Amino acid sequence: MSARFMLLASLAAAMLPAPALAQDLQARVNAYKQRVEMLEAQDAIENLQATYGYYFDKGLWDQAAGLFTADGSFEYGMRGVYVGQAHIRRAMLLFGPQGLAAGHLNNHMQLQSVITVARDGLTAKARWQGMVMLAQPNANGVWGVGLYENDYVREKGVWKIAKLHFYLTALTDYDEGFAKNTIRADGPSALFPPDKPPSVAYRSLPGAYIPPFSFPHPVTGKDLSHPVEPADSVLGVRQ
Amino acid sequence: MTRHSLTAALLAAHALLAGMPALAQDAAARLDALDKRISRLEDLNQIERLQKVYGYFVDKGQWTQLSELFADDATLEIGGKGLFLGKKRVLEYMQTAFGPDGAKEGLLANHMQFQPIPDVSPDGKTGWIRSRAFVMSVGGWGLPLYEDAFVKQNGVWKFKRESGPFTMYTSWAGWGKNALNNTWPDKFDPPPDLPPSTIYLTYPAYYIIPFHYPNPVTGKAFVPDKAEVGAYAAPPGTKTQADWHGIGRLADGTQPIAEPPRE
Repeated sequence: MSARFMLLASLAAAMLPAPALAQDLQARVNAYKQRVEMLEAQDAIENLQATYGYYFDKGLWDQAAGLFTADGSFEYGMRGVYVGQAHIRRAMLLFGPQGLAAGHLNNHMQLQSVITVARDGLTAKARWQGMVMLAQPNANGVWGVGLYENDYVREKGVWKIAKLHFYLTALTDYDEGFAKNTIRADGPSALFPPDKPPSVAYRSLPGAYIPPFSFPHPVTGKDLSHPVEPADSVLGVRQ
Repeated sequence: MTRHSLTAALLAAHALLAGMPALAQDAAARLDALDKRISRLEDLNQIERLQKVYGYFVDKGQWTQLSELFADDATLEIGGKGLFLGKKRVLEYMQTAFGPDGAKEGLLANHMQFQPIPDVSPDGKTGWIRSRAFVMSVGGWGLPLYEDAFVKQNGVWKFKRESGPFTMYTSWAGWGKNALNNTWPDKFDPPPDLPPSTIYLTYPAYYIIPFHYPNPVTGKAFVPDKAEVGAYAAPPGTKTQADWHGIGRLADGTQPIAEPPRE
């Protein structure tokens, strides 16, 4: 850089109206604050969902239900939709008593999060991969897997689960495996019926339903909310 | 804040900035540094996200969407199959080897993605990840590892290189009874553009794909074994590993001890 140019540049900088410069700095600070808040929101949601998993594993239904908003909803497989913390807690009791019973394994791993926080930082959506390992006394172990597509909301600065939807997609006997054996997903309970029927009718394996993606394609930006569903020999071809 | 104190603060800020352009410049420099740090975190997130979305697309046979995660000149190498060059070949590989786009009744092939270690270059244009998948499928279990590279083009991160060597693949009988040693170039169609970058065997042997990043505590780089066979039976540098180079493998890279799992 020539000395003359440097002089001109510094003169130009000095002549910049100070309030404009301050405004520019303030605008940058605001923009960065928003970006940091998005990162913090993602982090909080990741921890929230992971915590749900840890509670659910051990039958801590009170604690798990407490992670939902007052009008939050819980939908597991084809069991239907339960609304509000009290109903969510009872829906979870269908998996066993508070604290689980002896000899039970109820692991629901929370993996592969793809979290999308809304621009206003008040709501978010996330997809998760949910590997499942189950056991109860006098029965063989069970392998399972499914997908979560959940909604979250920030209330008074605290992230909560507004909607949890676990699409249980496959269950099998521990020894037999998916090729030889598939266990049908439970439907709505007669003991404690859900508030609403299942929001989506699908079959777990051998069905191969694709839960809609809550995020667009990360490179092309194309909408993925209506994936092409496979033909199903029971349900027929979906549109 | 009261109106009085707000006015006072504004007046102070005004006087500060008007009187000291150097201070404002210093603030701008600090904001530049902050921008870089925030951008790095955003980039790391986006790289992790690409790897996870790749997994979701594999699960459901979304091959076209999967190929669109790749840059035009990206490469792909999975197991011992060899290298595929370019986005179009990535798509051809997936559709030929694993069938047309879409999920299929009776099929489960979940590639659950976790344990990511993303990194990004100081200029923010190149990224890497070491991560893994746990495969749960109708055919059995699998453990691919990934050392992938990414490129940022027009502000969008894309796969630049996918390297997915296998650690272990087994049928539902389990890895105590059955193990696929690896795949190889002509095991199934389509043939690759280039032979495998490394010849190695999977479990019960093992291969350590070099880490793209140094040991986080010592800062030392991982030095791969320089011998011509890439399979490991013991850590690099040990006698067991040295002996291993001459045994345990046929000329075509196979060591069939069981039928491979069907997917």
